[in-house]
Amino acid sequence: MRRRDHIVWLAGGLIAVAATRLFQDAYSISVVNLVFIACLFAASFRFVMLIGEMSFASAAFVGVGAYGAGVATTLLHWPFALAMLVGPVVATLVSIGFGLIVLRIKGPYFMLIGFAFAEAVQIAAAQIQVIGGPSGMVGIFAPRILDAWMQSFVAAVVVTALYLLYRLEWSDFGRLLGAIQNNDNVARTVGVNVLGAKVTCFAVASFMAGLAGSLTAFVNNVIAPSDFGFMLANFALVYVKVGGERSLFGAVAGATVMVLLSSYSIVLGASNELFYGAAIVVTILLMPQGLAGLVEKIRLRLMAPKAVRREA
Amino acid sequence: MGGATSSLLRTSGLTKRFGGLTAVSDLSFDLRSGEILGLIGPNGAGKSTVFNLISGFTKPTAGRLELFGRDCTGSSALTISRMGLVRTFQHGSYMKAMTVRDNILIGTLQRLRGPARRKCVAETAEMLGLTSCLDRIAGSQPHGIQRLVSIAIALAARPRVLCLDEPLTGLNQTEVGGVLGVFQRIRNEFGTTILLVEHNTKAVMAVCDRIVVLHHGQQLAEGPPLEITSNADVIAAYLGPRHDR
Amino acid sequence: MMSATFVQLVIISLEIGSVYVLFSLGLTLIFGIMKVVNFAHGQFFAVSAILVTILVPFLAAHGLPVLPAYFLATATTVAVTVMIGWGVYQFGLVRFLRDMEGAFILTLGLAMLSDGLMLSIFGGAPRPEPVIVPGTVRIFAVAVLAQHVVVFGAAVCITGALYWSMTATRLGKALRAIASDHEAAMLQGIPYRRLSRDGFLIATALAAIAGALMAPISEVTPAVGNDYLMNGFMAVVVGGLGSVPGAILGAMFIAVIEAVGGYYVGPSAATMAIFVMVIVVLLIRPRGLLGRA
Repeated sequence: MRRRDHIVWLAGGLIAVAATRLFQDAYSISVVNLVFIACLFAASFRFVMLIGEMSFASAAFVGVGAYGAGVATTLLHWPFALAMLVGPVVATLVSIGFGLIVLRIKGPYFMLIGFAFAEAVQIAAAQIQVIGGPSGMVGIFAPRILDAWMQSFVAAVVVTALYLLYRLEWSDFGRLLGAIQNNDNVARTVGVNVLGAKVTCFAVASFMAGLAGSLTAFVNNVIAPSDFGFMLANFALVYVKVGGERSLFGAVAGATVMVLLSSYSIVLGASNELFYGAAIVVTILLMPQGLAGLVEKIRLRLMAPKAVRREA
Repeated sequence: MGGATSSLLRTSGLTKRFGGLTAVSDLSFDLRSGEILGLIGPNGAGKSTVFNLISGFTKPTAGRLELFGRDCTGSSALTISRMGLVRTFQHGSYMKAMTVRDNILIGTLQRLRGPARRKCVAETAEMLGLTSCLDRIAGSQPHGIQRLVSIAIALAARPRVLCLDEPLTGLNQTEVGGVLGVFQRIRNEFGTTILLVEHNTKAVMAVCDRIVVLHHGQQLAEGPPLEITSNADVIAAYLGPRHDR
Repeated sequence: MMSATFVQLVIISLEIGSVYVLFSLGLTLIFGIMKVVNFAHGQFFAVSAILVTILVPFLAAHGLPVLPAYFLATATTVAVTVMIGWGVYQFGLVRFLRDMEGAFILTLGLAMLSDGLMLSIFGGAPRPEPVIVPGTVRIFAVAVLAQHVVVFGAAVCITGALYWSMTATRLGKALRAIASDHEAAMLQGIPYRRLSRDGFLIATALAAIAGALMAPISEVTPAVGNDYLMNGFMAVVVGGLGSVPGAILGAMFIAVIEAVGGYYVGPSAATMAIFVMVIVVLLIRPRGLLGRA
């Protein structure tokens, strides 16, 4: 990352957080919160895609984050900062164990076990009465002072997290992740601990998924196991593919567009699943590089005539 | 390590069976410090399996592998590469979608930290003549460049033993000459010991100090190039028994 | 002496297992041949199951005896499902052969789309199970519904027929050749595109048959596809992706855990137990019980 990038991030982040002040009615605020949280989850899902894997277990880690916040706030009465972080930390620890077992081999094993993990965690949550069983937990509130500032708080946390993910992606570690996706045997032959790098990548992404969960809990105040099925991770995949997986900004754009469109489509009466399913089918068939690829194509087409003229 | 003739890599009775097929049978050879050793043999002679065995990518059925004087039989690929034995692969031993610079960088990750990595990438690229294409995507480069990138990644790890799996495949005469020169420079400048698997026998004869010939998974002959070219068994193996002199 | 509980658990395991086997065979075939994890597999299953529960009462109401009605309904349903499968292959999957990620995402999107569509068309309520063979049979002093026995028998026959055709027919041999070594098969002039289509349609038919067989013995909702899909995934992961005997073994493994776990601790705990057991298997054999190294 160059110095200019850091400045752009700082400026962009400040603008994004400041922009949240423009929304004051309850509905707009809830949509803004949803958009930011979706961006974080999409970025987390995409981070695992850097090593060429899809982590459907992430849905469970969002759940772990949300329940961490719920338990810490309503049962243990921990301070807010701790309640925000306990879920992500637990998610990270669990993902390390999970990753060490399932990331050892190539192929879709990791992805498929991820589904089962999401299912198992969801069912487990519904069985435990202390955390509300199938009906979940209520009354997860952030401190009073944040009441009027919640959407800005969410935006600030998400932008910071995105910035960290971006930095990591453009560090040597990020390049290593790309190398592992490309040809993991080469990395292995030059002494890189490939499994360690994969697990680290997965753990970072799981922390971010957990953070998205904590934010969800404090924004909605109410959580239930059914909010965190594997379908949630399917949505994250849709965000990433629709926006374009090549860059973090593609994932962010995809999440923003899809959340805005789907909150509109619910008004029209279509189910979320139908809408997201259609979106990803259209994307993969017609624009495999997503919106980012489409923008790039249009840009090239607009520039092409000029280039021809110059040559003539 | 003792003098120039001390052995860095020694296999004794190395054997690998896949089901009923014996790919490598009772192979014993050693790689001496500072030499360029060629491992040749007709197709299906077990060269690639030998490579997989000594780099820890497959485990031997029987026999012993000794690296830098330590028993490494059954060690993982990671352990062996960290001890200083780095290998390339026959097909695409580099990252297609990444720039040449990032490709070489991967080789430095384990050994170096911070700015030293960038310095090593520059030096390695310089040595292999890759400086001008550092910012290009590796997969878009001509075949010859891709081969050099594979070697550059391995070299950036500054291995004590460099094992190259058919690095000359698909190169033209001029390119082969250039790469052979690179091998000699690697050996002379870094003191790297090189194990070379190649089917381009002429090139092997030109660059290697010593040659081991494999046939049907077994060692057929061993010695300096001149001796090998006149070895009756080797000629028979390559040309078929009817051409016996 | 065998206790009644034991006999009952064996029977339940076999019953669930027989449907899982058919389901997982399709998944593993598609993976072996096309290197595609088909997320829409459960949807073919669900469409078929739902159509059967609609067609059987409809045909019966028009005077057909229930058993012929069931056979006619099954034949129609399998034909319709295979047609849908052909469409999915021809207009979508054919562009993603051996592109694991692309094909998976496409089938995942189609599954979500179909899930949403079916929910809005058929509603989420469970549909009644048609009675095709009335009465009960006694096995080792345990009463079993006759139609469960019939379904089990049918599943075993179909599995046997598939197994035989994979080893004895030209098509089966070609499909196995592709699954074991794609490049070698291509070099021998095996028409890969046509065969991968055939393999996909056979797998789709298997899912449809499994759905039709499941309809008389278990509750049918549009969501049933996803439930079976998850357990099907676990079955092929345990057995080893791409392996036919592995799919059978894995499906029985999952069925036994589900039957025994479901009996002693309830269905929710059984789902968790399946996950734990799959992790245990992968700890010992990372590529599944019969997966190739």
